[in-house]
Amino acid sequence: MGRFSDTDVRSRNASAWLLPTGDERTNHGLRRDMRRYDPDDEVDVVVVGCGAGGATLIQRLARAGTQVVGLDAGPFWDPDRDWVSDEYGSHGLYWTEPRVIGGTDPVPLGSNNSGRGVGGSMIHYAGYTPRFHPSDFRTDSADGVGADWPIRYEDLRPYYEAIEQELPVSGQPWPWGDPHRYPYAPHPVGGNGEILVRGGDALGIRTRVGPVAITNGRFGNRPHCIYRGFCLQGCKVNAKASPLITHVPDALAHGAEIRPNAMVTRVVLDHQGRAVGVTYLTDGIERFQRSRVVVVAGYSIETPRLLLLSACKEFPDGIANDHGQVGRYVMVQGAPQVAGRFDEEVRMYKAPPPEVSTEEFYETDPSKPYRRGFSVQTVSPLPITYAEHVTAQGHWGDVLREYMRDYTHWSSLGALCEFLPRWENAVTLADECDRNGYPVAHFSYSQCDNDRALMQASQHVQEDLLRAAGATETIAISRYAHLVGGCRMASDAEHGVVDSQQRTFAVPNLYLSDGSVLPTQGAANPALTIMALAARCADGLIATRRNGSLRGSAS
Amino acid sequence: MTGPGRERLASAADDVPQGAVTPGHQGRFGDFDVLGQADRWDEPTRTAVLGRLHQHGSLRFFGVDEEPTVRALVDLLLAQHEEPRVPVVELIDARLVLGETDGWRYEDMPSDGEAWRQSLSALDRAADAGFGHRFHEIDIGDQGELVQRIQNGDVWEGFDANHLWSLWTRYACTAFYSHPWAWNEIGFGGPAYPRGYKNIGLDRREPWERAEIDAHDPVPWADRAEAARRTHARRTGRHG
Repeated sequence: MGRFSDTDVRSRNASAWLLPTGDERTNHGLRRDMRRYDPDDEVDVVVVGCGAGGATLIQRLARAGTQVVGLDAGPFWDPDRDWVSDEYGSHGLYWTEPRVIGGTDPVPLGSNNSGRGVGGSMIHYAGYTPRFHPSDFRTDSADGVGADWPIRYEDLRPYYEAIEQELPVSGQPWPWGDPHRYPYAPHPVGGNGEILVRGGDALGIRTRVGPVAITNGRFGNRPHCIYRGFCLQGCKVNAKASPLITHVPDALAHGAEIRPNAMVTRVVLDHQGRAVGVTYLTDGIERFQRSRVVVVAGYSIETPRLLLLSACKEFPDGIANDHGQVGRYVMVQGAPQVAGRFDEEVRMYKAPPPEVSTEEFYETDPSKPYRRGFSVQTVSPLPITYAEHVTAQGHWGDVLREYMRDYTHWSSLGALCEFLPRWENAVTLADECDRNGYPVAHFSYSQCDNDRALMQASQHVQEDLLRAAGATETIAISRYAHLVGGCRMASDAEHGVVDSQQRTFAVPNLYLSDGSVLPTQGAANPALTIMALAARCADGLIATRRNGSLRGSAS
Repeated sequence: MTGPGRERLASAADDVPQGAVTPGHQGRFGDFDVLGQADRWDEPTRTAVLGRLHQHGSLRFFGVDEEPTVRALVDLLLAQHEEPRVPVVELIDARLVLGETDGWRYEDMPSDGEAWRQSLSALDRAADAGFGHRFHEIDIGDQGELVQRIQNGDVWEGFDANHLWSLWTRYACTAFYSHPWAWNEIGFGGPAYPRGYKNIGLDRREPWERAEIDAHDPVPWADRAEAARRTHARRTGRHG
């Protein structure tokens, strides 16, 4: 166990204790009795998007007594009623409004990386919650690639520790990056996890179980994981952490209002260039929420899109885009997956897909021709996703069917390669409009040589691990995972959109609190870092409010 | 078993084949029937999955000129040559009626629905040019040759061939492997809430899971894969 008891966590975030104990997963009373502001009220803070970045910040602000309203384009999920234990039936969890992809290496969106509704992408993320390494915050000065952050790892460490306790995270003691322990013991592993551990042991590559934000034992009123394997389809058990259950309940209990089905269309500025609120669509009617501070937390595609859609006289190319930085340096991780065939039955659909990781290849290896690195994790795709893996071999017809018929014998690993931030990898507005008449996002992605070298290297390591574990055949698929960047944090306005407090350089009372602010992405899943940054951003906002300057000054 | 779930299952079963059904009777797991667990699924999941069992009635998206073409194409892509068939075309049609996309499209492709229409009409044109008939009228080897040529190429009939192949296979595989009969075929346990799994790890099964009992067992995986390649080659002409 870690340094804090559950009681300590409860005293600062009681979400897990505010969930019901019986057959229901949602505290309907808490939602019904939620504070509701009048349409004309000016609130302290309005937050656009209630995912990892938005909901965490809302909880912190509400606890500090701030009047805060969160707007989310999607529904206020009820896991019992809205979610199914089924791959295809979970389509509604994804952001499926139209988007256009291009570049030399177009990146599919939707189910791969884009959430919808309160809880955001963490509703359907696997559950891996590794920290970034200290080196991630200074890749430019240390490795000559990427960018340096205006903050250091040490600035985030206390927030990492706090969030790891609130989720809470299970895993073995972590030897990589800044070595640390986890609040909860590691989960037992299924067949896929056994394979990765076995392969690592055979090759002398260290592997560790975790880190996953899945309850191992009861936590508050959240039950133990039941190992059903549908983590990516929304956890009906309330075992896998998402802001819907880890931060929203406590936020509501402290007076926050969450308004679902509210698609924000514009950040509105006054003539002094200060944000005065946002317009949003609910039931086809446009409304306006006045606010002293606006926080945008729509993630790497919708946050830049909203700033671009909000172009006005003061910012004709989009709010905070006076230096052409909005929508730039969007990153995805190269995420090639390799499946291996074993004589034993693996049945990788049993147990959570996130089980075991290795970060042995995370850092720059001076002996290699590429900079930065990758991690390897178990992934365990369900049949529809695994069929995509098989068709990527060129198989169709009888061969596709025969490979799929052999599903129980295959183990599947995935890498996360640290692709580098590039100006040309960008979100812009497309010619096409959505059903409300607003231009949709165009997302262009092209890899550089370093990216391609990492993809190759990580594929070979996965093949080696599987062969060493006894695989008789391996098949690989090139793909991508996660999104970050697009409105990055920087030391000055020429190099980014927000400062080290996540306040936009251009508009003193406009903040961004989501994955879009990340200058680099490491080889780690981004959820924990996005939450830690949101908690830190909230602390800054709370301090500003105490100083009586919430509306911001143009100084 | 009692309760509303059981009744729903019984009524759903009236008009569909019963027992451990697999598409074209090609399962490897004997009497494994994932639907035997349906009374242990939560209600929203049961509703969603059992709804796929009785997809019938006329199509709403694909027109009468497109229907035989799309049926022939999808049967070919999934090697569904015998009954019982997973109603893949019906499931794709339902998605396209709703405009239920994956949330993105390639910049060089039209919207998904339009891409389906245009590519089906292009398939008929290509079949006519090469074989003098519509796609569904030419023999399966010729269909296979035509489709293999698309997969091998860079550009076909104005489409980026990779992007078109991605569209076809994504929609076809999503529909096929969402169906309980396909789960029976591959030994997948299906929905697992609120039941969960108790026996995780290599070579561990739940009491209701089944070992493979193939007619050709024990046939090594490599031989089975090779046999499938030969069948594929035979069915799809000279380029399999």
